[in-house]
Amino acid sequence: MNKTAIRSEDVLLEQVARGDQFAWAELIARFEGRLLAFVASRTGDRTEAEDIVQETFCGLLTSLPNYDRRRPLESYLFSIAAHKLADWLRRRQRRPSLPLASMLDHGAAEPASPARPASSIARSGERRHLQYQALADALAQILGQWLDQGLTRKVACCELLLVRGWANKEVAAALGLSEQAVANNKFELIEKLRGHVRRQRLSPDVFPELYERNG
Amino acid sequence: MELNDAELEAFLHEALPAERMAEIEQALRDDAALVQRLAQVASLIDSGVVSIGGVWRRERLTCASRDELGSYLLGTLDPSRREYLDWHLRLVGCPFCRANLDDLRRQQSESPERSETRRRKFFQTSVGRLPRSGPKKPSA
Repeated sequence: MNKTAIRSEDVLLEQVARGDQFAWAELIARFEGRLLAFVASRTGDRTEAEDIVQETFCGLLTSLPNYDRRRPLESYLFSIAAHKLADWLRRRQRRPSLPLASMLDHGAAEPASPARPASSIARSGERRHLQYQALADALAQILGQWLDQGLTRKVACCELLLVRGWANKEVAAALGLSEQAVANNKFELIEKLRGHVRRQRLSPDVFPELYERNG
Repeated sequence: MELNDAELEAFLHEALPAERMAEIEQALRDDAALVQRLAQVASLIDSGVVSIGGVWRRERLTCASRDELGSYLLGTLDPSRREYLDWHLRLVGCPFCRANLDDLRRQQSESPERSETRRRKFFQTSVGRLPRSGPKKPSA
């Protein structure tokens, strides 16, 4: 291992991209344990999990030229591991193979058509990214404020509703809140996000959830 | 089994606790209509529709840092943050924070030789994909 102590993520990645084997060994040592724990919780078998983690590291090297460095490396590695794991589960028929998107009735959704010009798709992709980022920034700001103020129950309440999809009643029972308080917390978050979308003049079409629920 | 789109979306991203993932896999095996719904959720994501839960999860807006999880294990975390992390780990069941916590616990019990052997294997099976210009490890 190299003599230097702990390298920052950016430096480590830069060195890996240049082919530095010491940096690569350090990156593996830093992340393999958490990846293995994540995958093994699903495979139930550490040997199989090790194979998937091995594929994950190979996947990182293959995708390195396209990796958006603004995204934390740990999150990126977990997402590669999740893809490899999903493939493994599909091969064992624990996870279904989904019908092709083009075979589905999309309703309001409008997938990119191959007939659209590439420039239009690229513009659309950029716009989506900006809109996504705007929502992410607004959400991070609101949740950060609540956590700073010690409003942890309010954050946990919204997380269970929106991230886990629990019903108001379940959340109320788990956190010792009234159902009205749960509804109020969700309403407050949605209202703040709606305000942000309006102020930023973002397209409401991209965020249908803000207008469908608690409307 | 009652399943809404938020949970199906999290399922697609392997972002639910392992026990819930297994329950949904079982439900999908027995329910063709549920598979169709799952495909519709996947299609909506592909078409660019953004869910609040999806952004929250992808950006890991309320996940703990590795240092925080270390303090959580040592019992030295601020009580308010500790209470929140209890919910995040136990109720939300964040599989990424759980994995970090499992890893930190395992580091205390696993022999260094064992982890070193595993790391060497990961290194040897992947190093051939590195660009060839950088410094080489003597053993590689």
